[in-house]
Amino acid sequence: MIRRPIPRWLVATLSLVGFAILIGLYSWLSIRQTQKNPEQTILPSLSGFQAGFQKILKPQGSETSPKPAMLWSDLGATYLRLFLGMLVGVILSVMVGVAMGAYRYVEALLSPAISFLSKIPPTAMMPVYFVMVGTDQKMFTAMVALGIFFTMAQSVYQAARKDVSDDAINKAYTLGASDGEIILDVMFRQILPRILDNIRLQIGPAMVFLLAAEMLVGGQGMGYRIRMESRILNLSVVYIYLVILGTSGLLMEWALLNFRRKLFPWFGE
Amino acid sequence: MCRFNHAKVSVGRFFVHTSWIGCVLLSAGMLLTTGCDGKSDISGSSTAATGVNGTSLNPSSKPPVFSLAWSEYPSWSVFGVAAEQGLIDEAEGKLGDMEKKWNVDIVLKQTDYDTCIQFYGASQADAVCITNMDILGPANSRTAVAILPTSTSDGADACITVGIDDLDGLAGKATFGLERSVSQYAFERILTLKGKSPKDFPFQQMDPSLAATAMQTGDASVRSIMVWNPFVLQTLRTQKNAKLLFDSTAIPEEIIDMVVVAKDALDRPGGKMFAMAVLDTYYEMNRRLADPAKGNDTLIAIGAKFSNLGLDDMKLVVEQTKFYQNPEAALKLLESQKFQKETMPAVAQFCLEHGICEKNPTVSFDSLDAQLNFDLSYLKAIRAGATPSGN
Repeated sequence: MIRRPIPRWLVATLSLVGFAILIGLYSWLSIRQTQKNPEQTILPSLSGFQAGFQKILKPQGSETSPKPAMLWSDLGATYLRLFLGMLVGVILSVMVGVAMGAYRYVEALLSPAISFLSKIPPTAMMPVYFVMVGTDQKMFTAMVALGIFFTMAQSVYQAARKDVSDDAINKAYTLGASDGEIILDVMFRQILPRILDNIRLQIGPAMVFLLAAEMLVGGQGMGYRIRMESRILNLSVVYIYLVILGTSGLLMEWALLNFRRKLFPWFGE
Repeated sequence: MCRFNHAKVSVGRFFVHTSWIGCVLLSAGMLLTTGCDGKSDISGSSTAATGVNGTSLNPSSKPPVFSLAWSEYPSWSVFGVAAEQGLIDEAEGKLGDMEKKWNVDIVLKQTDYDTCIQFYGASQADAVCITNMDILGPANSRTAVAILPTSTSDGADACITVGIDDLDGLAGKATFGLERSVSQYAFERILTLKGKSPKDFPFQQMDPSLAATAMQTGDASVRSIMVWNPFVLQTLRTQKNAKLLFDSTAIPEEIIDMVVVAKDALDRPGGKMFAMAVLDTYYEMNRRLADPAKGNDTLIAIGAKFSNLGLDDMKLVVEQTKFYQNPEAALKLLESQKFQKETMPAVAQFCLEHGICEKNPTVSFDSLDAQLNFDLSYLKAIRAGATPSGN
């Protein structure tokens, strides 16, 4: 029967079986490839992964001026860039989105242009952005911010326009609220959980964009390392990084979802 | 399919798809595609097995398929122009003149230089256009046979600066280019020759075409780049403040541009015919370049394929990239004691010492049992005027 419930223990077991299949499939491919060519590093064996871990966890720099191991500097670089870029992008898009939802002339001025720009895939815009924002460290922030801005502004605007009823605004006016108070205390408050949801949904596209930029420029970062190590065919490091990206993605998703549920239980889901 | 792309797509999807099952299915899918790619290699060789091993030709059987990965570079764009001129048909299942002559189906895969290297290492291509230092790494895991030196960089790799006038001014400032590749090699090697310590000159990863674009558009954070042609000339033409700080004329016949075939591909039925077809095509194109009637047109065709450079610039490009125009010139290089006993070992040693390469392969010039083999027999056969039937 469709959607018949199954016991929890079965859900848990099947999830584990899913991962077991994944690992089994990989091992089979790896063993087959190693039989063909013992020197292969495309589908590394367990010892290949050990070497990979050693490489990324080995402290860099010299005795006098130690630097963190590759993994930490890459993780740090990428997530700092992601954080800064998201911060700038979210602040800008919330400001613009709310303004569009609040004032008809801002809406008329910006809405068509923004909905047009939000339909262009950000990665296709990269060559343009590189020319506009340069290639230094600020670039990553700008890239991520620009990459999420148009879609996010569009969603915030939709929320501010549709979720906040005219009734609520008129009631606030009747009670003597100023424009500023309505924007902050009525509109912004009501759409805040929606904004949190959008941040969560934008992390994925932001990462696609950030990693693509890192693959082109930079001396550290997850994207840089993946391109570099895959060129020298050190795929063990690449797989480890992919697993880390997957895991951290799930963690961020889970954290933001729970944060919103805890903070705004009235929002549902 | 390129593994690189799998990786990129899956990264994005990991975040977008929330359910565990989704993740698992996607990853499994990714692995399966990887597996299928491997399989298509095998089936490629099984169709090849129905082909002919050189001696008796059966025209009704499908010729074996071999792929050559190449990127834009003067002596490699030659293959792209050969495709335009009908010598090779880049698609699978279609044959150009040379493919018919040697009864092989050559598939040309054009991509970025570093993706070419990856294609070779990941067995996504049977042969690759690559330099003598960049093959050192991949040869460790996939035995390589260099069959054809196409050219040597004699100014085609250069360090270009804006607002920096000499080496002392460059010290401490970042130079951008493809890290751990021929660019970093040339950069550190020439600095060493000039009595400097490469440690004082940071080299930073940036995609070479992006580095060139950044300098051409006046990006203030990119003051020094180490790139190859067409990027060198394009940048010098477009950015008026650009200065050529040094170039590969300082290290003549040290950077050798080559075509390398994987030993596993050469060993497949028809592998040797593939190698001969590549050489035959390359020298036919060189004859066309040397032909007073067709030379300029061919050069313009390469220029158009390769960049926006016109005839005059292309003449300069060909000077900076000295083609080994015939088998004699190629053999002269590869047979010379200097290249075999001094240049190659020194290049390998330098790469290892400077972390450009993590492990060096064994290199051989007279047998095929090393990890990187220079096999001169194809050049000799072409020089002797070998034909498919007489092979």
